[in-house]
Amino acid sequence: MSIFALEIWYDEASICTFYTVKKITGNSINSFSETDSFFETYTEQDNPFQEQAFQLFHLITESIGNKYGAIDDFFDRTENYAQALPPKPKQRVEEIKNFGINFPLRLFCLRITEKIVVLFNGGIKNAENAQKSDLSGKFFEAQEFAKRILQALYDKTIEISEDERHLKYFDEINNIIL
Amino acid sequence: MKSKTVDKLLKNTPQDVKIFVDWCADLLVLINQLLREKQITKKELAEKMDKSPSEVSKWLSGEHNFTLRSLAKLSSELGVKLLEVPKRKENLFKQKQNFQNVALFVKSVKKEPETIIQTQEYYQNLKIDELTTLSNVG
Repeated sequence: MSIFALEIWYDEASICTFYTVKKITGNSINSFSETDSFFETYTEQDNPFQEQAFQLFHLITESIGNKYGAIDDFFDRTENYAQALPPKPKQRVEEIKNFGINFPLRLFCLRITEKIVVLFNGGIKNAENAQKSDLSGKFFEAQEFAKRILQALYDKTIEISEDERHLKYFDEINNIIL
Repeated sequence: MKSKTVDKLLKNTPQDVKIFVDWCADLLVLINQLLREKQITKKELAEKMDKSPSEVSKWLSGEHNFTLRSLAKLSSELGVKLLEVPKRKENLFKQKQNFQNVALFVKSVKKEPETIIQTQEYYQNLKIDELTTLSNVG
């Protein structure tokens, strides 16, 4: 996988900060982040999943961001284990939980702490084979992003800030590029 | 700091979506919290409610739109009110003097057909709980 930028997606909520990733092609960073691409696609007028996309957006920004933080109740975690910060690098890409019957969308993410979450991309959950393979592709991409981020936390290329709400690069000056 | 997409979506999220998600999230967190406090597993809860464990798991994983009935059953088993509809105080008029033309919608205690009557004077002895003021009366 080529390098990518780790950027703030939304940090104006009162409890949790959301980061996202932007792929770097050549020497330029993509204008849309992976998460923006997801929401721009599914909140588009006439998209059949527009309402669900808005539901997911509000869950993230309000329920997780402002009210509860990134607690287990909102994530599809099958096992509980104690975390030592920074977490050891392993595959911990999760999904934000669905609401409602047969919620069609999946958004992949990496929970670093209850106050910092990195959002990736996603897609339609129960789709035809061609689209399903696209979702698998997004999942594996998310796994790769997550591995790099967790490794960076482990070897202190990036660290959690003192206010526990942000990630900072080792030189504290430049954008986070992994 | 926020992306332009976030800014746009914050402004455009429909109000009913916000209310629905807030309710879902609050219920999910509360129910899971109660299960932890009471040390009840989903399996035990399922047995108490005569449901299959998979059905209860589905309820509590967010893959379920709760009905009032299912919320009532959960409330009963968990011993906590999960849903409460706020009470609203009626806007009661007590105008004994300078009573203008106000139409009162009077509900007769004898269940006679409801009639709208116009009155220049408020009857002192009229019981408050027999009166319902029309909201659209000026």
